[in-house]
Amino acid sequence: MQKFARLLLPGLPVGFLLIVLVAPSLRLLAEGGPLQWWEPWTDPYLLRRLVWTFVQAGLTCGLALVLGLPLAWVLARWDFPGRLVLLRTLMLPFVVPTLVAAMGVLALWGPQGLVAGWGGPDLQGSPWLLLYGNLFFNLCLVVRAATDALQQVSAARVAAARTLGASPWRAFWRVEWPAIAPWLMSALCLVFLYCFSGFGLALVLGGQDYATVEVEIYTLVAHELQLAQASVLALWMLLLTGLVALLYAVLERRLATPLRADRMPRRRPRGIGQWMALVLVLAVWMLVCVAPLAAIAWRALMAGSAAWSVLLNASTWQALWNTARFTLLAVACSAVLGLTHAMAARRSLPMRALVFLPFVVSPVTVAFGLLLLYPQWTASMGLLVAAYTLLAYPFVAKSVASGLDAVPPHVLQAARTLGATPWRVFVRVTLPMLRPALRRGLAFAAATAVGEFAVTLFLSRPEWATVTTLIYEHLGRPGAAHRDAAMVLACLLMALALLIFVLIEWSAAPASATGGDGGVRNNGVVVEQVHA
Amino acid sequence: MLELRNVYKMWQARVLLGGVNLLLQPGEVVAILGPSGSGKSTLLKMVAGLESPDGGAVYWGGQDITAMAPERRGFALMFQDFALFAHLDVQDNVAFGLVEQGLRRPAARAQACDMLGRFGMAAFVHRRVAQLSGGEQQRVALARALITQPHVLLLDEPFSALDAQLRVQLRAEFVQRIAERNMATLLVTHDEGEARAMATRAYALRDGVLQVLW
Repeated sequence: MQKFARLLLPGLPVGFLLIVLVAPSLRLLAEGGPLQWWEPWTDPYLLRRLVWTFVQAGLTCGLALVLGLPLAWVLARWDFPGRLVLLRTLMLPFVVPTLVAAMGVLALWGPQGLVAGWGGPDLQGSPWLLLYGNLFFNLCLVVRAATDALQQVSAARVAAARTLGASPWRAFWRVEWPAIAPWLMSALCLVFLYCFSGFGLALVLGGQDYATVEVEIYTLVAHELQLAQASVLALWMLLLTGLVALLYAVLERRLATPLRADRMPRRRPRGIGQWMALVLVLAVWMLVCVAPLAAIAWRALMAGSAAWSVLLNASTWQALWNTARFTLLAVACSAVLGLTHAMAARRSLPMRALVFLPFVVSPVTVAFGLLLLYPQWTASMGLLVAAYTLLAYPFVAKSVASGLDAVPPHVLQAARTLGATPWRVFVRVTLPMLRPALRRGLAFAAATAVGEFAVTLFLSRPEWATVTTLIYEHLGRPGAAHRDAAMVLACLLMALALLIFVLIEWSAAPASATGGDGGVRNNGVVVEQVHA
Repeated sequence: MLELRNVYKMWQARVLLGGVNLLLQPGEVVAILGPSGSGKSTLLKMVAGLESPDGGAVYWGGQDITAMAPERRGFALMFQDFALFAHLDVQDNVAFGLVEQGLRRPAARAQACDMLGRFGMAAFVHRRVAQLSGGEQQRVALARALITQPHVLLLDEPFSALDAQLRVQLRAEFVQRIAERNMATLLVTHDEGEARAMATRAYALRDGVLQVLW
C-alpha cells in the first residue's frame, strides 16, 4: 500500500504534466523547424512585436516600482485608519479576471470612457492603455512584496545607522533598501513575466499597434493559419519566460529567511506633510487599482435596462452554466492533483520545482500545443478541462506545499506513537491542519478558472462559450448596445471574482495563525496568480 | 521488558550511536543524559519506531520489534514542545489515541474528560491548545500519552520549555503519575537535576556509547 502511494503521489502530477504540458510543447518544437528558428529576430514586423513586448514589460516594472514602493513604505511604517482594509484589498486584483480588468481600463480611459466623457484624454490607440492595465494587476504585487520585505528589516540595524549619524532618508537608502532589494527584484521578475507573456490585456487594450507576441501567436493561429511561424514565436516565448522564471526561482530561494523578531514599529503620520504624503500615495492606489473596477460598475449602472436585459438571455445563462461547470470540474481535478503534487514535493526538490512549470508556459502556448498534438480532441470537454486544470492546480499545489512545510513533523510522529497508521495520520492530522491552505489554494484555482480566457478561446466549441468569451464576443460586435452588454457581463464576472476574494480573505486568518504563510510565501501565492 | 541490543546509527558519515545496550523493567525510570546532538532523541525515536537503526535490534517482552510500525508498539512518546494537535481541542487531543484503538468518539471523549479531571484540567476540556499555558499544555500532553495505557513512556526533554518553578512542580507530579501506572519510562534530558529527581538509573550518552552514571 505504501509502495503504491509512493508511486502514485509523484506519478499522477508528473504524468499529467507530461501529457498536457511537456508533450504539447515538444510538438510545438517539431512544428517550428530549424529554418525559421531566427525568423522573429530578422523579420522587421515580428522584431517590432518582440521589442514592444520587452519594452512594455520593462516599463511596467519601472512604473510599478516607482509608484508601489512609497505605498508599501507607508503600509509598513505608518499606522492609519483603514490600513488593514487596504492591506486586504491589495489581494483584489489577483482574483479579477484579465478581461474584466481590461474592460475596466476601457471604461475609464477608452473612447467612450468616463475620463473622455469629462473632457479628458482618450487613450485608445496609445501604449498607455496597456501599461495602465498592466499596472492594475502588478502594482499590488509589488506593494505586497515590498510591504512584506520592509517588515523584515531589522529595527536594530536602522537604529544603529541613525545613531551613527544617518538621517532617515540616508538610513533608508543605506540600510533598508539593500535589505528589501532582493524581494523587489523577485517581485519585478514576476511582473516582467506577467506582462511579457500576458494575453488578455494585450488583446483588448493593445490594439493592432501595441499587440504583444502572445497576441501575435493567437492571430497567426486563429486568423492566418500560419502554424509554423506561430510555433517559432511560441518557442522563443517559452525560452525567454523560462529564463526569467529561472531568475525568479534563484531569487526566491535566497529570500527564504525566517521572520525577524525585531521589526520596525509602526507609528501614526506626524504633521500635515506626512498626512498629505499618505493621501497622495492612497490616491495613486485608488487611481490604478480601484478606479477601473468602479468605472465598470458605474458604466454598467448607467447602461440602462436594455443592456441589463442581457442577463436574461439564454446565451448568458448558458455561458454562466459553462463557466460554473468548467470551474467546478477544474477545481475538483486541481484538488486531487494539487494535493498529490504537494505531498510528493515534500520529499523531493525536483517535484517542488515542477510546481512552477505551468507558470512558465503561457496559456496561449499551452492551448496551441494541445491543438497541434491532439487535433482529434480539439473540441472535447476532457481536453478543455485538462487545460483549465493545468492553469489552476499549481495554486493548490503551491499553497498546500507551503501548508505542509508549516506542519511540524513531530506532530505527525506523535500521532503515529498514539496508534494512528500513516493513512489515519493523513486523515486525522495532516488534512485538518492543511484545510486553510487547501481552501486558499482552491479559491485561487477557482478564480483562475472563472476568469480563464485564452485557453477557452482556442479550445472551446461555440456552445461552450463562457462568461469571458461572451464578453469578448460582445466587444467584437459594433454598436453601443453590445458594449454596454459587455459592461454588464463584466460586472457579473466581477461579482463572481469578489465572491472568491471574500473566500480567500476568509481563509487567510486561520492560515496565518498556523504560521503557514510568511512574507515570501504570500508573495509566491500572489505571484503565481499572474497567469490567471 | 524493553531491551536495546547493540543499537547502531550513522548520521552524516559519523557514528551517532555506536552499539547501545539497555534493559528497562516495568515501573523503572531510566534517564539518558547528554549534550545536544549526542543522539539521545534519535535513540528515543528508534525505540518509538519513528526511526530505524542501521544495526542492532529493539526487543519488547522478548519479541524483536525493530521493524514494527510505531502505531503497533503501544509506546507513548512525549515531545519537547508537546506536539499537541492545534486543530483539535484539549478533549479531542487526549481522546486521539483511544479513537485510534477503535473506541467510539463519545466514549473516548468521556474517558478523556475523566482523565483531564484527574489532572486538574476539567475546566479546559473545550479549550484550543493554543489558549493554554506551558504547564497546562504539558499536563494535556501527559494525559494524552497515559490514557492509552502504554507499555513504555518515552520522554524527550519534557520540561525544557517550562520555567524553573513549574519544572520542579511538574517533575514531582510526573513521578507520581508514572509510579501509579507501573510503566517503564525512558527519560532523555540534558539536565542532571531533572534526571536525579525522576530516575532510578541514569546513563550518559558520550561518543555514541552509554556510560553508567548511577
